[in-house]
Amino acid sequence: MANARSLVKRLKSVRNIRKITRTMELIATGRFKKAMDRATEAAAYTKKISEIVGDLGQADLKFSHPLLEQRPETKRSVLLVLTSNRGLCGGYNGSVLRNTLRHFQKLKETGIEYTLEVSGKRGIKFLNFQQIAIDRTYTHFEDKPTFTEVDELGKRFVEDFVAGRIDRLDVSYTSFESISRQNAVVETILPLAGLGSETDSKDESRSAAVDYEFQPSPKEILEELVPAAFRARLFKCFLDAAVSEQIARMVAMKGATENADEMAGTLKQQYNRARQAAITSELAEIIGGAAALE
Amino acid sequence: MADLNLVVVTPEKTVIDRTAASIRVPMFDGSAGVYPRRAPVVGRLGIGELRVNGNDGSSESYFIDGGFIQVKGEQVSVLTSAVQPLSEIDRAKAQADLEAAIAESAVGEEALAALVHRQERARKLVSLSSGS
Repeated sequence: MANARSLVKRLKSVRNIRKITRTMELIATGRFKKAMDRATEAAAYTKKISEIVGDLGQADLKFSHPLLEQRPETKRSVLLVLTSNRGLCGGYNGSVLRNTLRHFQKLKETGIEYTLEVSGKRGIKFLNFQQIAIDRTYTHFEDKPTFTEVDELGKRFVEDFVAGRIDRLDVSYTSFESISRQNAVVETILPLAGLGSETDSKDESRSAAVDYEFQPSPKEILEELVPAAFRARLFKCFLDAAVSEQIARMVAMKGATENADEMAGTLKQQYNRARQAAITSELAEIIGGAAALE
Repeated sequence: MADLNLVVVTPEKTVIDRTAASIRVPMFDGSAGVYPRRAPVVGRLGIGELRVNGNDGSSESYFIDGGFIQVKGEQVSVLTSAVQPLSEIDRAKAQADLEAAIAESAVGEEALAALVHRQERARKLVSLSSGS
């Protein structure tokens, strides 16, 4: 029976693991829904900003702002990496970090000075292991990054950029496209490429009929609007990363649960066979013994 | 009479979405009122009180921290980085904040601008919380 007993032990541990992964899957599903709601609500702000940009567009204003200017030469850049604090989420951190390393190599080759800022324990651990020096670390961004928290970073970046201390800001994170599609990307968000480009053309045609009064003047509104657009953009990176992390964890845990189910099935079958074999051999011994007595 | 549709959004979420008879917003250079059928406007907001007057004569006040306003027909959109009902302001905290901001000194143009902004914000918070 020794074999059967060890099988029972394994079966029990597999079932326990299944319970844990199943629970984690459910938790991730709940968190994903919350993160998703936050991301959808935040989209309203970005939409409004691009609407106003569209409105400003008809004022015959040339969009010029320090944050929009492409610098002729990039000397110093900041790379912000967004990873999760916790593991067990499949390839989520792996793909972000792989991208980061590639980008990092590029920066080194071109001789651009860089500052590395990492959010999330997983990324910090990985880069420490690779012996890459990190300039700043953050671990307080959990699955619910608040705007005030993100804005602290945003304000600093804007100040550094305007003062010329940095020429570029790249963010390496997982962008959320749809529930079944998330991509690890490295995006340059300073200088800003455009102001809410996706909805621009539509908004312009719709609001073209409205003749706006601008207070104080289109130019001064733009001066305020561009930093606001940038901060919303940075915040969106964090929200995207949070949503993607929960999706990745949900998928990983679903896979783990299914594997555990399959394994439990095989083990149960093996156990039944072993038990049956033991009974058969015992019976054969008894019958054999009885036959020998006759 | 036509109503205004007021929508107040922050980067995190839509805070207010309701109808109103009239509203008062803090513009960059002082208060401005918006009644139905106002000419379309896009404007920059300052720090201060956003007052929403309902149809039944009730009114609600919020503290808003800069941003933009867009009026288009009946649709009024207010974009701001933070909204807080006036009743939820902690006066003692605001006062302490103001004192800290006044005590602090700044070097450089940007730091000075940031500090002035902070003082302004704290001062408005204190005066609004004591007024209500």
